[in-house]
Amino acid sequence: MTIRSDEAAAMLADVDSVVAKVKQSRIYRLAALIMTLWGVVNLVRDGLIAIGPAWFGPRWFFVDALGVAGTIGILRYSASPGARFPVRTLAGFLLFYAFGWIWAHLLGHFGPRQQMAFWPTLFLFGYSVAGLWFGPAFTAIGLSVTALVVAAYFWAGGAFTLWLAVVTGGGFILCGLWMRRA
Amino acid sequence: MDGPDDVIHQPIRLRVMAALTACDPGDEGLDFTRLKGLTGATDGNLGAHLDNLARAGYVEVTKAFVARRPRTTVKASPQGRAAFARHVAFLKSIIAGA
Repeated sequence: MTIRSDEAAAMLADVDSVVAKVKQSRIYRLAALIMTLWGVVNLVRDGLIAIGPAWFGPRWFFVDALGVAGTIGILRYSASPGARFPVRTLAGFLLFYAFGWIWAHLLGHFGPRQQMAFWPTLFLFGYSVAGLWFGPAFTAIGLSVTALVVAAYFWAGGAFTLWLAVVTGGGFILCGLWMRRA
Repeated sequence: MDGPDDVIHQPIRLRVMAALTACDPGDEGLDFTRLKGLTGATDGNLGAHLDNLARAGYVEVTKAFVARRPRTTVKASPQGRAAFARHVAFLKSIIAGA
């Protein structure tokens, strides 16, 4: 069997293309799990804040802590046997959180409404940027949900918290399910 | 340097092996539908190519029922991974020697 160099190059390009698709698919599946988890977290947290703001408002942190623990669990569970824990991914989340905390609590003097709009849009911004490397679905989801949150900030009035619960909660769950199939 | 691997050389089988070896050895592999999407093959065509690869000992095919639906999962065997690596090295050597 004789193979010319241009045929060999075409075959290797084909191999690279398939490998890239498989790797992107794995990233999407992992992101889908984390997104679905945070969809549930957002739905529960914002839903409870909408229903009982006085009682649940100061306790939102516990729901987020469950989300963080779940995220760490997913990252650990999805890692291949013997693979190192994705420390850089976790560090990225923590840096985003630290940046947000500095602006939300030290520099920004945000009120409750601004806080509730700021946090999801901050992480959605990260999603949008990540899409430039990991796949267009991240950017599409990041920008779409950000637009819905910003729209709610200006026009949802008293239903803002409930809107957030539906958009960032339900939206993330739907996006997570969609990404699993992407 | 070895010559081409006659089993892997066929374009669909090359794509199948590329996809399966891109998964970690500890993973469960890829399901039939996903492989079909990655290779662009039809059901019957992919099935025939998988039979070829399985006969060569390059893949392990597992059939099971998940939620009452049949599910076929395919995984590269250690022998298949080694053969694919040799074939890719052979293709690279052709380019390097051109």
